[in-house]
Amino acid sequence: MSDGLEVADLNAYYGTSHILFGIALEVRAGECVCLLGRNGVGKSTTLKSIMGLVAHRTGTVSFDGHDLIGLAPHQIARLGLGYAPDERLIFPDLTVRDNLEIAVKPAARAGLEPWTIERIYALFPKLAELDGRAGGYLSGGEQQMLTVGRALMGNPALLLLDEPVEGLAPVVVQELTRQIEHLKDTGLAILFAEQNLAFAARVAERAYIIEGGRVRYAGRLEDLEQQPEVKRQYLMV
Amino acid sequence: MSQKSLLSASLLAAARDRLDISIPVLLVLAVLFVLLPLIPGEFILVVGTEILILGLFALSFNLIHGFMGQISFGHAAFFGLGAYTTALILQPLTAAGGLGTITFLLAILAAVPVSALGALVVGYFCVRLTGIYFAMLSMAFGELIFYVVFSWYSFTKGDDGIQGLMPPPLLKSPVVYYYFTFVVVALAAALLWRITRSPFGYTLRLLRDNPARTAFLGIDVRRVMLVNFVLAGSFAGLAGALWGPFARSVSPTLLGWAQSGVPVFMSLIGGAGYFAGPLVGSIVYTGLNSYVTRFTIYWPLTIGLVILAMVLFLPGGLLSVVDGWLKAKRRGEP
Repeated sequence: MSDGLEVADLNAYYGTSHILFGIALEVRAGECVCLLGRNGVGKSTTLKSIMGLVAHRTGTVSFDGHDLIGLAPHQIARLGLGYAPDERLIFPDLTVRDNLEIAVKPAARAGLEPWTIERIYALFPKLAELDGRAGGYLSGGEQQMLTVGRALMGNPALLLLDEPVEGLAPVVVQELTRQIEHLKDTGLAILFAEQNLAFAARVAERAYIIEGGRVRYAGRLEDLEQQPEVKRQYLMV
Repeated sequence: MSQKSLLSASLLAAARDRLDISIPVLLVLAVLFVLLPLIPGEFILVVGTEILILGLFALSFNLIHGFMGQISFGHAAFFGLGAYTTALILQPLTAAGGLGTITFLLAILAAVPVSALGALVVGYFCVRLTGIYFAMLSMAFGELIFYVVFSWYSFTKGDDGIQGLMPPPLLKSPVVYYYFTFVVVALAAALLWRITRSPFGYTLRLLRDNPARTAFLGIDVRRVMLVNFVLAGSFAGLAGALWGPFARSVSPTLLGWAQSGVPVFMSLIGGAGYFAGPLVGSIVYTGLNSYVTRFTIYWPLTIGLVILAMVLFLPGGLLSVVDGWLKAKRRGEP
């Protein structure tokens, strides 16, 4: 029994297509970890498999000692995993406040301060200004903040973020970076998928590079700086 | 963890603020239903009673269709289970004479748990699927229950059906039975309205629009779908219970797939996107059926053309016309 997420030998399939081949990773309590890789290498599928949104998966996924394989997404959510999908999937007809309130859920693990609308608005001041605005009328960056805020309202112990800064303007990326750094300070564990190495290096301590559905590199992001050939081969930077 | 904690009061208030044409439509219809017996003749009462019973049947179907986003082609099974439950209780009592009003009411209510149990068993399997697979499985179960009723002669009298059903003396006159039906259907509709406006009702819309999002927010999608399926079956059973004493008989066709098509058509005609849509559909469908069949034997052709016209020109149903008209008026357009 240990706190945090442990994934070992995770295989996932869409129909008859084998997508993930023996993914292994871990996220300790309070840690911020990044999945790096280009488009279509299996980052999103890894997050979805952890969350139970890919039904056909084998291997070991455990969180705080609970086996997640075989559990449905709602059961996994109730064990303390929050998920912010890259499609965001906010409710276009509900207001910003409604979008947040709809996701209220008691925390599965004690120790973290419970989230309230006020705390979300303190973290994302822009959302406070948009309180009564319908979700469909937000910009991409505002929608992303709302997606993260909605996941936080479920009081997760681990937050899964799928490409949180994808397609956002540089100034918005900077803002989100600061906000995610602030989130780390609250003691929340974060696992996020990212293509943007600069953003990843700002917020994550460790990274897993994924290519072709396999983990090709695991280690500290500082150490990655010393390995240009790894970066060139898997990230094309 | 309760569903309530997931959907707060302010969300409900926000949704209430949005104008829903179902309330004014239901109020207008209620007044019309109350005044209907002013039209002389017994025929209008028969048509009115049928509109109400099938309207409740269609409203219950729309919990699954309009609010949960699935189509059931086997909903008549629960209507029929309710009809047979009440009929099997009433038939010996009516034959012996001396059927009391209280006994009669209890026989009507007895249909609800039986239909609910049927819906629990069928729903347990159906909610594992969505879309066309949900529709096909519900139809398969509907036909299965139909054949059980059809073949089990010693218990259900098979194809002969159960004859000689009667309301008790107090409710026997057509106008009284009409008003009795009106009260039961109005109460049931009020309860259904409350359900669709509850946190549970909003959870249904939530999973209809995106089941994956609903699940990762922590809601047990299948369980909510199953509860809804059982609710829909229970209300269909109540509608079925009213049918036997009204039609004086029940037969296995009440459970068949043709009967299951009736609420589908009604929802399509009135507008599945509106709470009151299926009731409006029942007025059109049942009303047309009653009058058209006096002049022609080609009823399926008639309703087929109506459905065709609806699908091509009014896919949102009749209420979408009223809705669009009211919205244009509010914007100040001519």
